[in-house]
Amino acid sequence: MSDALIQLFAEILQIDPTDLNEDSSPDNLKQWDSLASMELVAAIEEKFKVKLSTKEIMKMSTIGRARKVLQGKSVAA
Amino acid sequence: MTGSDLRRRWREYKAEQEQSGAEVDIRVALAGSMTVEPLEPYLGAQLLRRNFKPSIITGPFNQLRQICSDPHSTLGRDDINVIVLLWRIEDLFPDMLMHCLRFPRTLGDLTQELRELVDAVSELRKSFSGTLIVSTPPYPSWPEFNVLEVGQESFGMAIFNTISQFWTEQIGKLERVRLLSLQGLFLKVGIDQAQDVRKWMLYRQPYSEYFWLETGRMLARMIAAEKIGPKKCVVLDLDNTLWGGIVGEDGLQGIQLSEEFPGKAYRDFQRYLLYLKSKGVLLAVASKNNPDDVFEVFDKHDAMILSRKDISVFEIHWESKVESIKRVAGKLNIGLDSLVFVDDNPKEIGEVMERLPEVSCVMVPDELAHLPGLLADTEFFDVAEVTDEDRRRSEMMAVEVLRKQSQETMSEEEFRKSLGLEIKVFKVEKQHLTRVTQLINKTNQFNLTTIRRTQDEVEVLANSKDSLVLAMNIKDKYGDYGLVGAAILMRQNRTCVIDTLLMSCRVLGRGAEEALIAKITEAAKMLDCDELSGKYIPTPKNPMVRDLYSRFNFSRVGEQDEWILDIRTQFFDQITTKATEQVMLFENPVGDHDVHLLPRSSGERRAR
Repeated sequence: MSDALIQLFAEILQIDPTDLNEDSSPDNLKQWDSLASMELVAAIEEKFKVKLSTKEIMKMSTIGRARKVLQGKSVAA
Repeated sequence: MTGSDLRRRWREYKAEQEQSGAEVDIRVALAGSMTVEPLEPYLGAQLLRRNFKPSIITGPFNQLRQICSDPHSTLGRDDINVIVLLWRIEDLFPDMLMHCLRFPRTLGDLTQELRELVDAVSELRKSFSGTLIVSTPPYPSWPEFNVLEVGQESFGMAIFNTISQFWTEQIGKLERVRLLSLQGLFLKVGIDQAQDVRKWMLYRQPYSEYFWLETGRMLARMIAAEKIGPKKCVVLDLDNTLWGGIVGEDGLQGIQLSEEFPGKAYRDFQRYLLYLKSKGVLLAVASKNNPDDVFEVFDKHDAMILSRKDISVFEIHWESKVESIKRVAGKLNIGLDSLVFVDDNPKEIGEVMERLPEVSCVMVPDELAHLPGLLADTEFFDVAEVTDEDRRRSEMMAVEVLRKQSQETMSEEEFRKSLGLEIKVFKVEKQHLTRVTQLINKTNQFNLTTIRRTQDEVEVLANSKDSLVLAMNIKDKYGDYGLVGAAILMRQNRTCVIDTLLMSCRVLGRGAEEALIAKITEAAKMLDCDELSGKYIPTPKNPMVRDLYSRFNFSRVGEQDEWILDIRTQFFDQITTKATEQVMLFENPVGDHDVHLLPRSSGERRAR
C-alpha cells in the first residue's frame, strides 16, 4: 500500500514513489527546488486541509520531517 | 475544477509534451516584479481548456526593464507569441514609496520613475510583434497602506490612486498594449483572500493559490479573445427567463416582474441584457407562446426594461426552439456559433445542445438571485478591442430590417438601384487594423481560406512591400455598414497569391464581391504580377464561396481547390468595364478611392 504523503511528493516532484523515502530532501533530490517547495506547500495544505506556519514550512526539510509536522497537527500522514 | 486539479492537468500535459515533443501553438512568457511561477499551471490549464497547445516560460525575477529593452535574450527565445508583465509599486520603487508616505509632495518623483517604465513598455511594444499584456499595479501590500483609513489620514489611498490612474492613462495611449487589472482581481477575490504573507516572506511570492487561479483564468480569457470572436446574439426564452411565471396562464398582471423578489431577479436580468445590447450584442426571443400575450407584456407591463425595439428577432410560436434558433441565425445572417441560448427548461436546453452543438446554452440558475449575473462572469462577450463597428452594430441591424422590408416590396433590380450603393476598397492603414483583424478572426461563411491572424501579424503584412492588405467599406442610403471586407495579397515572383479573401455576409449580392475582386486584380497588376492565384480551403461553414473563383473566370489547377487567373488577358477588362471607370486605378496605393458600382444585371443570381 502506498502512503499518501509519499504519493503527493512523487506527483509534485515527478519521481517514482519507490525512489522516495523518509530521508529524501532538497539535498539529495534535484527536483526539489524552491519552486517545488512552493507547490508542495500548496498541495499539502489542500490535500490534508491544514494551514502551515512559516516555522512549520521551514521545518519540513525532509519527507520524514514533513510527516512529523503534519502528525504534530493531528493529521494522519 | 479545483486548484489542485488544474495544477495536475498542467503537470500531466507538460510531461506529455516533453516526451512526445508535440506541436505547440502558443508560446507565453510570464515575468514580474515578484515571483510569478505559481501562475504558470493555472494559466496553462485554462489555455488547455480553451483548446490551445501552450508552452509557458517564466522570465527572470524582477527584471522587467531588461525584458523590455531586450526581450529575446532576457527570455532566451525569439519565438514568443505573448508576453505578460506583472508588477507592484512596492517591488519596483520601495524607497520612493516609503518616502512618499512620509513626504507626500515627493509623489511627483515617483510618477517620473513611472514614466520611464511606460517608456520601457513602449520600447518593448516596438520591438516585439506578439501580444503584450501588462498589469495595473495592485494596492500596495505594506501594512502602512491600510485600506480602512479614510480621508485626510489616508495618504496611502491617494498615492495609489494617483499612480494607478497615471499608469492606466499612459499605457492606454500606447497602441496594442492590453491591461490586466490586478487591482480588479484584488477586489474580486478580496485583499485578505488574495495575499499570503507567509509565501511572500519565504518565496518572494505574495499571493494565495486562489488569487493566481483567478489571474490565470482572466489572462487565458484575454489571450483567447485575441483569437476567438465574441458571441453576437443572445436568444432568450420568455416565461421564467425574462419574467417569472407563464404569461399564457398567469396573464399580464400575474407574471413576476417588479422591484420585489423574485420579480426583481428577472428585472435586473433584463437590465443586464439592455447593457449587453448597448455594447453591441443583439437580443432575440425564442418562446412557445401566443404572440398577442407576449407583445402585451412588452407594450403594457410597467416593470419591463426591454422594449420591442431592443429585440432584433421575435420567434414566438409553438414550433421547436431548435427551429426558432436556426431562424434567428438565418434572419440575422450570423453563424450558430455566434449565439448564446438562455432557457429555464432543461429539456429545451438539452435538445438544443444535442441538435445544435455550435450554440452555447446557458440555463437559468436554480438560485434566482444569480440570474442577473448569469452572463456577466462568462467570456462569451470578451473582445480584444471594442471597435466602432461593435458600438454601431445594433443600430445597423435596425437599418437591416428596413432594407429587408423594402426588398420584399420591389424586384431585385429595383432594390439594388434604390440602394444608392457606395463601395470603397483601400489599402489598410493603422487605424483599420483592429477591425480588419476582428473580421479575419470571426468571419466564417464568406471566407475563402479561413486563415486566422493576430493584429500584429496583420500589421506586419500591411507594412511589407511584398504583401498588401486591402479593406472594403460599404454604405447605402439606409446607413453605413462600415468596414465589412478584407483581402490579403502576397507577391511570389510574378504571381499574386490571394492569401485571404473575406467579407461579412450582410453585404453580399450587391456588387461587393465584384468590387473587391476588381480591386484585387488592379492591386496585383500594381504589384507587377501576371497572374492571380487563389485557394478555396473548405470548412463546414464556407461552402457559399466554393464556386467563387469559377464565377470570376479563374481556372482550376490540379486536383486541389487552387485557382489561377491570367490578369494580362480578358478577365481584367471584363470586370473593370463592367464596373466601368468607377473602379479607380491603383495609382496611389495609399489612397482611399471611392468605387461606385453599377447595379448588376437582373440575370445574375445572388450569391446567397
